[in-house]
Amino acid sequence: MSSQGLTGPALHLDRLPRRRRVNRVMELLAWLAAAIAIAILGVVVFSVARKGASELNFSLLTKDPIPFSLTNAPQGLANAFAGSLVIVGLATAMALPVGILVAIYLNEFAPGSIRNGVSLVLDLLNGVPAIVIGIFVFGLLVVGHGQNGFDGAFALACLMLPLVARATMEVLALVPNSLREAGLGLGSPQWRTTLSIVLPQTIGGIVTGTVLAVARVAGETAPLLFTSSLVGTQTSWNPHHALQTIPVAIFELSESPDPADHARAWAAALVLLIFILLASLGGRWIATRKRTKTTAR
Amino acid sequence: MRFGDVALQVVAGAAALAVTVLVGLITWKVIDGARLAISRYGFHFIWRIAWNPVVGRELYGAGSFLFGTVVTSLFALLLAAPLAMGIALFLTELAPRGLRAPVTALVETLAAVPSVVIGLWGILVLGPALRTTIEPWLHSAFGFIPLFGAPSAAGASIFTAIIVLTIMILPIVSSISRELFLGVPHELKEGALALGTTRWEMVRGVMFPYSRGGIAAALILGTGRAMGEAIAVTQVIGGGVFIQWNLFGGGDTLASKIAASYQGSTTNLSTSSLVYLGLILLVFSLLANITAQWIVRRVARGHGVTRGGRA
Amino acid sequence: MPKLGNPFRTLVVLATVAAFAFAAVSGAGAAPARKATTTISGAGSTFVAPLIAQWISPLGSAYGYELQYSAVGSGAGITSITSRTVDFGASDAPLTSDQFAACNGCEQIPWALGATAVLYNLPGVKNLLHMDGPTLASIFMGKITTWNDPAIAKLNPGVSLPSTKITTAHRSDNSGTTFNFTDYLSHVSGPWKSQIGTGVAVNWPVGSAGKGSSGVAGIVSQTPGAIGYADIAYALTNHLKYFAMKNASGRFTTPGLRAMLSAAQSDVHPAADNSLSIVNPPKAAKYANAYPICTFTYVIVPLKSSKAADLKKFLFWAVTKGQTYGPRILFEPLPNPVLVVDEKAIAKIHT
Repeated sequence: MSSQGLTGPALHLDRLPRRRRVNRVMELLAWLAAAIAIAILGVVVFSVARKGASELNFSLLTKDPIPFSLTNAPQGLANAFAGSLVIVGLATAMALPVGILVAIYLNEFAPGSIRNGVSLVLDLLNGVPAIVIGIFVFGLLVVGHGQNGFDGAFALACLMLPLVARATMEVLALVPNSLREAGLGLGSPQWRTTLSIVLPQTIGGIVTGTVLAVARVAGETAPLLFTSSLVGTQTSWNPHHALQTIPVAIFELSESPDPADHARAWAAALVLLIFILLASLGGRWIATRKRTKTTAR
Repeated sequence: MRFGDVALQVVAGAAALAVTVLVGLITWKVIDGARLAISRYGFHFIWRIAWNPVVGRELYGAGSFLFGTVVTSLFALLLAAPLAMGIALFLTELAPRGLRAPVTALVETLAAVPSVVIGLWGILVLGPALRTTIEPWLHSAFGFIPLFGAPSAAGASIFTAIIVLTIMILPIVSSISRELFLGVPHELKEGALALGTTRWEMVRGVMFPYSRGGIAAALILGTGRAMGEAIAVTQVIGGGVFIQWNLFGGGDTLASKIAASYQGSTTNLSTSSLVYLGLILLVFSLLANITAQWIVRRVARGHGVTRGGRA
Repeated sequence: MPKLGNPFRTLVVLATVAAFAFAAVSGAGAAPARKATTTISGAGSTFVAPLIAQWISPLGSAYGYELQYSAVGSGAGITSITSRTVDFGASDAPLTSDQFAACNGCEQIPWALGATAVLYNLPGVKNLLHMDGPTLASIFMGKITTWNDPAIAKLNPGVSLPSTKITTAHRSDNSGTTFNFTDYLSHVSGPWKSQIGTGVAVNWPVGSAGKGSSGVAGIVSQTPGAIGYADIAYALTNHLKYFAMKNASGRFTTPGLRAMLSAAQSDVHPAADNSLSIVNPPKAAKYANAYPICTFTYVIVPLKSSKAADLKKFLFWAVTKGQTYGPRILFEPLPNPVLVVDEKAIAKIHT
């Protein structure tokens, strides 16, 4: 028996029992690794669920926080929920069109060298740590003008952009060239072909990419620390001022010595986690649905 | 060329240009912000161990934070790599059919947990648990190694930060590895098994060498992610401007120091020094990213990838 | 075969909807709220945050002001008011001349009087423990590492101290409380003054760092054997024990209202920049009961502000009616001489 192409022990049958034992050990280790990963996830999610569920009540979503409260008046994190909705919504509105356009340009128009270059730029943007984005937006927009929700949204949009662009590029690349050629062959100009024939095929992928990007930035704290953290306790929907957000609220509460603050932090973490999980699962479900739809012909 | 074609190309091209300008702007702004500290301290800043904000004695240096970043990221990688490989192998080779999809989803769910939530769990659950169980045990069993010195008093330590970072980079490395292993051509795997190798020998002899480049890229990407993590680390690491070898003691990383000190920085020099820390962090992250992307591109070209769109 | 033109229309519709949504959201908050309230925003010291929190509701009912305060630390408060991100800043550390210059036309006004408690967590020891300045300095320099050290035992005769390791807790952010604490240590310990010094942040040789007074209180409450420093209000709300500190007259005092008032007597004439220093009052019968780590805390306001009228009303209320909310959480009302200076300073704010 030859062993070409394989490194490792020669295939002697007399060493088979030992080789089988090694194999068994490795398989067990792999099972163990998977078990550990599931256990970690289970412990984290279980902690959040158990500690968060007890404090989870309606006032969390409807009442504003009362710092240093000397009474037991009900309080919650309404301002953080409102602020997160506004800021993440604005961030999506900023990142989505730019991301789609970049993907269209790279996939449909750009010559090879430019495509590689801008692709690299997108990957670089993806690799910038969130805290550095925070410093950047702070220096660019906050200095001299004060914090506001738009600055926070812009910072989050910088994080979302590469995700949306990449997801769009991937689905654009999946559209077979035959479709494009068919459109051009029928006399439709390239812009019409792109927008009317190619793009609709990718809506599912774009939605998935966007939803996943939203799930990603909904929990981002670092960029918001510098752009939207000097906030009051009253709920506001106005992005012209700094707005409280859920991740920043959890961050601040987590460092407090008050167990009541911890309880609120767990509850907010639970809501955040549920939202992110639903968004992630939903995004993937849309992806599989759209995929079966377009391939089932 | 119709007007529509030009219009779309211009608008889309403008978006691409904007993104490029954005990255350039980020780099420029960070360098510009660090300029004061760079001119004052030069490269010496990078390894100086100091952070004294007292007015009149101001002296800053990145040394202890660079050390912290390297130590935490490296150890997190050491812990996460075998776990991630194991998970990926489990999901591609060992798991029964019905178990694959759910477990994959579970691992990817771990990726979705935001860092602030892991940090919250780290402060309130993991830290105290480590302080009372694993740290004293490791100290009593291996205390002669300086790494395992006296257990932390508050649960906040480099060790807790390492565990937190491991949890955070585990999903990334394992999902990329899983995709790589799925991409190993069947013929190669079946061929090896047909020749009588055990499954482990097939993995070692065929799958690992085949995906070697991709795994390297995955590890580098994971390291980059660990280096840049600010929030979860600052919640659990305890802080401190010194280099000490006790894993159970305090310390700080580049990202975590920036998160903790930036808002309250009162002098221009201290702010600039913090941005200098950010610059060092940015350089490392970009290097890690570029290296990983370069490896991936080389591997993809080698394995042949087709795509639709403009050739 | 997909119809040409339909998806194009969809795109236009989507873009219009997005544009509308964007405009709606940004316009929404700009519209007036349900009732006309004036927002007064501030940021800074965590030391005074408990007191300011008590002011939010009465201010709302008295003048219809919505007071927004972010307790981000004195350092961040100074930076925020310097960049006019907020209407007022709060700091326990008086501004340096550089900070005054950077702030470009600001003044500081002492608006509360409080004390920094030295918190500790030592399960099993029920007595009120004594501490003095030099020993405390040695502890925070890392020279004394266990609770049963002879220096601590000497201050607490008859108390059986365990051999628990001491963990010190300090501020990770720029803090006026740190300034007060290190100012005190510099006054009472030569080694501390020369090696470490005074500042809103210093080069701590040992210890764990916490963010904000809450962070330090958190470390102390969760760590057996820990010693930290924070405004006394944090000790009360978190049921933490604190030392009786030895003052210059040789007495061990705790941060109570009378002890604060006694300490405040040591400096009742604000300097030209309105700063006061009352740490470690000297040995004298007048200060026999003084607590040695007290401090005034300042509000920092621009002399020229578009909200001048509201700011003046708010500040005037804060230094008079607002002081009545203090004693409950151990903030001593301002002494009269200081109040007189404050009122003159507040009157200087103009549009």
